[in-house]
Amino acid sequence: MSVDSLRIYPPSSANFPSSPKAKIKSSSGMAIDPSVRATEADLIREAQQGSRTAFDALVRQYDQAVLRLALHLTGSEQDAEDIHQEAFLKAYRYIGNFRFECSFYTWIYRIVTNLCLDLLRRRKSRREDQAVTFDSSGEEIDLLTNVSDQRASSNPDRELNRKYLGERIRQALDKLTPRERMVFELKHFQGLKLRTIGEILNTTEETAKNTLFRATRKLRANLAELR
Amino acid sequence: MKCDLAQEMIAMAVYGELPDEKTPELEQHMAGCDGCREELEAVRALAKAMSLLPVEEPSANLIARSRLRLEEAIDALPRGSWLLRGWRRFIQGFSRLRSAPVAVSAVLVAGLTAGGYSGFQAGEHAHSASASTAVVQSAAPSDDSVIDVAGIDSIAREPNSGNVEVVYNRIQPETIRGSLDDPRIRQLLLAAAQNRVNSGVRDSSLRVLADECRAGHQCDDGPVRNALMVALRYDKSPAVRMKALEGLQPYVADDVNVRDAVLEALMKDSDPRVRTQAIGLLEPVEADSSVREVLHTVSVRDDSPEIRTATRQVLDQMPQVQ
Repeated sequence: MSVDSLRIYPPSSANFPSSPKAKIKSSSGMAIDPSVRATEADLIREAQQGSRTAFDALVRQYDQAVLRLALHLTGSEQDAEDIHQEAFLKAYRYIGNFRFECSFYTWIYRIVTNLCLDLLRRRKSRREDQAVTFDSSGEEIDLLTNVSDQRASSNPDRELNRKYLGERIRQALDKLTPRERMVFELKHFQGLKLRTIGEILNTTEETAKNTLFRATRKLRANLAELR
Repeated sequence: MKCDLAQEMIAMAVYGELPDEKTPELEQHMAGCDGCREELEAVRALAKAMSLLPVEEPSANLIARSRLRLEEAIDALPRGSWLLRGWRRFIQGFSRLRSAPVAVSAVLVAGLTAGGYSGFQAGEHAHSASASTAVVQSAAPSDDSVIDVAGIDSIAREPNSGNVEVVYNRIQPETIRGSLDDPRIRQLLLAAAQNRVNSGVRDSSLRVLADECRAGHQCDDGPVRNALMVALRYDKSPAVRMKALEGLQPYVADDVNVRDAVLEALMKDSDPRVRTQAIGLLEPVEADSSVREVLHTVSVRDDSPEIRTATRQVLDQMPQVQ
């Protein structure tokens, strides 16, 4: 059995940044064309000196990725918008402090991730316990087997069912700690490399990896207990 | 290979993070291990479940809304340069004073002396301040034991003797008298206005600067006005902020930065007396549309009913702009 066949998903192809000008070779965005990186450094320096146009150009490079992340993590357009706003306002206020010690990408993602973590923590302290999910016939839904067994014919309202199941997944994700949720989001849904995730969260790749494993173990347990 | 290691490797492989050289080991283990093949199935099942919640692209609407909102928010921030420059100088002044701790203690509370400034300078340019040399016996302490030391430049042992040579800098407290027209006085007052450590000195200097500005002395250039604007924005004492407003009054009509600083004080200052004073200052520019906008906002949103009434009265008195 070839290990390549183990790869079951490609991360979303429209990964950051979505501007056509930036030639990103891998989904993690690490291998940036040097000429593009030089341009970005110029933009940053100009923005640091007060150029609003340069700052706006930087925002355009990253804001779709930021929205995509915030939208998927929070499930809410309003929350995503708020995070977008706070993140870029912070970037505007503190761009003078950026010293090129890490990539701008990491810097922005750090800001966004911290805001997301704050929101997840606030939400966690407010949530009530989730009820078990039942289907229309009153049977408990086992999501792990249900998914591979597409009973489309017996389910007239497929769209509603899909959304409903999506919600159940979101509930399982909400049971993770904010940090676990964040790492899982960045790795599984956004396709970032563990090393990048470590940089963003100011920790090591090893720690990020262990957090990811804890998250996947918990998720499997959460979804299986509906059996 | 043990199964728990293999299972970790499976997870890494699934995410594309398994180093290539590990692949053959893993494939070999998988070929012979039922448990790990089940693990792979479980991992796949989880991924399928997660695909029920796919990552969606933000809609064009959401992107546009967010960008617009951000634009407006940045536009609404206080204007960059004079504030940032003033703030940066404020902070730099603080860090310079910190590097000359003895100099700080030499600054007198009452009145302004050049001692503060030379101490300020001593911290910054330790080498250019007056340096004295003294030969210090390592065994017996010297007679004139109390020295006002700003910093030690160097210490050298003389070979073949018990002697040590120390080069150090002294603080020389000095006094200077004059009016704000004297550039040295102005320089010292501006430096003192940034004194983060000693608020008595800072207050006194700001009051002097504000009074002189009102009297029309030498406030045409930027730094004094900037110092007052920074004080208006950041000083903790409402009395100082009100004094700063007084000093800025003659310039509201001609200087847009001053006008904006006063508008900001009207909207954001925590003390109602400051806000009330700000209303008074805006008289010569009442007809400006941005001034009217702020007055309107304040007339609706201010916490204090007196201020709401006062701003409404100002608005009512103005002829409507067509």
